[in-house]
Amino acid sequence: MKKIFVALLALVSTAPVFAAPLELASDVFVEREQKRPDGSVATILEEPKLVVPGDQLVFVVRYKNVGAQPASKFTVTNPIPRAVAFSGTADGTEIVSIDGGKNWGFLSQLKVGKADGTFRPALPGDVTHVKWNLNQTLAAGSAGKLVFRGVVR
Amino acid sequence: MTSKLKFLVAASTLPALIMNASSAYAAGTLVGTDITNNVSVAYKVGTVDQTAATDSNTFEVDRKILFTVAEDADVTTPVVPNQQNAWTTFVVTNTSNDTLDFSLSPTQLAGVTATHGGTDNFNVQNLQVFVDSNGNNVFDGADTATSINNLAPDASVRVFIVGDVLPTQINGDVAGVTLTATALNSDGSAITAATDATANTDGVETIFADTGRDGIESDQDDFTVSTASLTVSKLSRVVRDNLNGSGTSADPTNPKAVPGATVEYCIVVVNSGSQPATDVTVSDDLGLVPDVTFDSSFTPATNGTVVSGNTCTAGGGTGSFAANVVSGTLTDIAGGETRTLVFRVTID
Repeated sequence: MKKIFVALLALVSTAPVFAAPLELASDVFVEREQKRPDGSVATILEEPKLVVPGDQLVFVVRYKNVGAQPASKFTVTNPIPRAVAFSGTADGTEIVSIDGGKNWGFLSQLKVGKADGTFRPALPGDVTHVKWNLNQTLAAGSAGKLVFRGVVR
Repeated sequence: MTSKLKFLVAASTLPALIMNASSAYAAGTLVGTDITNNVSVAYKVGTVDQTAATDSNTFEVDRKILFTVAEDADVTTPVVPNQQNAWTTFVVTNTSNDTLDFSLSPTQLAGVTATHGGTDNFNVQNLQVFVDSNGNNVFDGADTATSINNLAPDASVRVFIVGDVLPTQINGDVAGVTLTATALNSDGSAITAATDATANTDGVETIFADTGRDGIESDQDDFTVSTASLTVSKLSRVVRDNLNGSGTSADPTNPKAVPGATVEYCIVVVNSGSQPATDVTVSDDLGLVPDVTFDSSFTPATNGTVVSGNTCTAGGGTGSFAANVVSGTLTDIAGGETRTLVFRVTID
């Protein structure tokens, strides 16, 4: 797994007045069912070392205010990789886009144009971007995480 | 990240291109594809917008071996006795996310119920397997490959099991066959698959996802002998004896087989098989029948039917008499149908 932290690098070039970096980390896990010795099934999360089409993925976005100032009005945006079909979030507070980030809304409000000119309700698999508008202030040192799921196409 | 993935990631910021984004492959995302998840956060400190923080995570899609072998059309393949290179068709479909080779193995059932009913009761000779290399759905001289080379994800190819039918097979005989395909790497080498017990690695791994999770699939088909089956019988009745009733002009009551009497022979050909019999010729050498003389006043008649007992109708066709042999060619006899050749002789 590769992790690329570019936040600090970006801060250098634009030099904001207050150095209050927000740290962001994206992790992906594969959800698997594992039989316990007693025959019951446990769901476990594994690092994505063995991943094939149809596998269930859990994306975890962790954020932390590592600066000295509180951060506010922050929005987290995550384009869904093309090879992944979005299947929902843990909290349901997200808004989504089905047109590459042009228009946003709750999934239930979005419609997809069909070839015959009619519309159908948007499905999770249509989602191209997911976004959380977190209307809260993140105090210095505090952290949180957002979780969404997908299936490898 | 591959260059292709870079393009896809870049394209995802172009709104018009990604309505209904979906995988191009039913087989799924191709092996080796990097899946990169990018996340960004925009925020303010005080009233000042800050530069967005971003992170990404990349993993690689592994290889999933999934394929099917299915008999084509799901009906038995009719064959006739003595048929050479009888062939039946299977379809091998690769729904893996990688290009694969397949080795092919034909086998014969042994006395069990065949897939389309009936009990396997014979083996075809010279059993072989060939790939429909020219893709015309017909086994022909161009189809010489005996294994499948480089079958792409979502692609399928037809495979023929070929055999010869002995001349001694009869209508209704069944020969069941099985095609077994084994998945191989695209260079033809055997696949070493990870198992559930194998620790996962960062590299590309292979897992079997087919039935039985063994990289081997098979299906059955059968050949059923479907042929014409002819039986011949010869009936006779005395038409007149020139003594009883009205003499020569009409059939009298109870004529007796005395010298000078006229006897009608009816050669009955019955097709009890399931296929039409064509080019059926019937001949009767009167030289082998002592003490009768061909009645030239009655033209041999073909294509009649049996009315009852020894009585036949004279059909619309005509036979011939030459060199003391009566002969006639019958119209094609469909399965279950009866045709006759009728001629008359007089008793010496």
